Amino acid sequence: MSLYQLQKLIYHVNREAAQRERYRQDPAAFLKGYELSEAESAALLNVDVRMLYTMGVHSLLLRPFTLLNKISNEDYAKALKGLE
Amino acid sequence: MPIVFACAASHAPGMTAWTEAAPKEQAEHFLGNYRKLGASLAAAKPDAIVALTVEHWANFFLNNMPAFCIGRADHYDGPIEEWLRIPKGRVPGDAPLAAALIDACLDGGFDPTFSDELLLDHATYLPLHFLNPDMAVPVVPVIINTLTPPMPTAKRCFAFGQFLGKVLQDSPKRIAMIATGGLSHWPGEAKHGKINVPFDKKFLNNLIARDLDRLTAYSHNEINAEAGSGGHEIRTWIALAGAVETWQPELLAYEPVVPWATGCGLVTFNP
Repeated sequence: MSLYQLQKLIYHVNREAAQRERYRQDPAAFLKGYELSEAESAALLNVDVRMLYTMGVHSLLLRPFTLLNKISNEDYAKALKGLE
Repeated sequence: MPIVFACAASHAPGMTAWTEAAPKEQAEHFLGNYRKLGASLAAAKPDAIVALTVEHWANFFLNNMPAFCIGRADHYDGPIEEWLRIPKGRVPGDAPLAAALIDACLDGGFDPTFSDELLLDHATYLPLHFLNPDMAVPVVPVIINTLTPPMPTAKRCFAFGQFLGKVLQDSPKRIAMIATGGLSHWPGEAKHGKINVPFDKKFLNNLIARDLDRLTAYSHNEINAEAGSGGHEIRTWIALAGAVETWQPELLAYEPVVPWATGCGLVTFNP
């Protein structure tokens, strides 16, 4: 597990327009710049909200990141159902 | 003279990003008061705004997370969020004022970091959109870590605000102080959407009663349990209560807006 690296990637995508563009052009290539486990890479590539949340990604990194990936409030809430 | 205006305001991104999701009456009441507060700020003719604010991973990461940071840049760009429905823009900074504040802090027993480049996210840019709509008044952001523990205590935030207030009262400039964040909310968490109205009302009562002992006694665990991860932002309000300790706070609006997932408050402070 490399939660630090996982969160660092999301931090870069959320805050820097140029990095965000690189991520959008080729997510798989963008991920190579970070030391991630296979499970983390898969969760990112699938924008798996529940998995990323369970892995411990800070909610204020995860929600903006999922908004950038066009995940609605309703779908976000649905993905986290039962984790309260 | 110098501090000529003070207010505290919430900054839920839904206020602009999904305004219409909120009940119309609630949204109009809250945002109408937000704009009125902006008119009051303009009427006070400040030379600069000192913003006691927070951020959400816009600048700092876990490699280096300051408890307090004062922005010393000539300008600030924002908002970083492309989904916020606030046009991208730039607000001027006030580097000389910031430098004077930093010097005073280091001489006076506080050791904030400083930064000559900060990006603004909705925490600062949304309040400025309502309070400084032309982005004409220069801003000095004072960022408090309310994002990730360990965070400065309520008592320390109050003392820091109290110290800044004393320094600013001696400034040759006319200063507007704003505090932004809170009240209870659990942003992006599984409990997202929960609002603890009793906590918010008690906090507002304590603020308005100027119960400084109670305000400085809020513990991390209490805030976390009762007001959520977003509730930690009340530290900015507590810092402002220190900065204008003798002023009387007045509640302008409190709306628990469920679609914005936040107990939204607006308080002005009267000298």
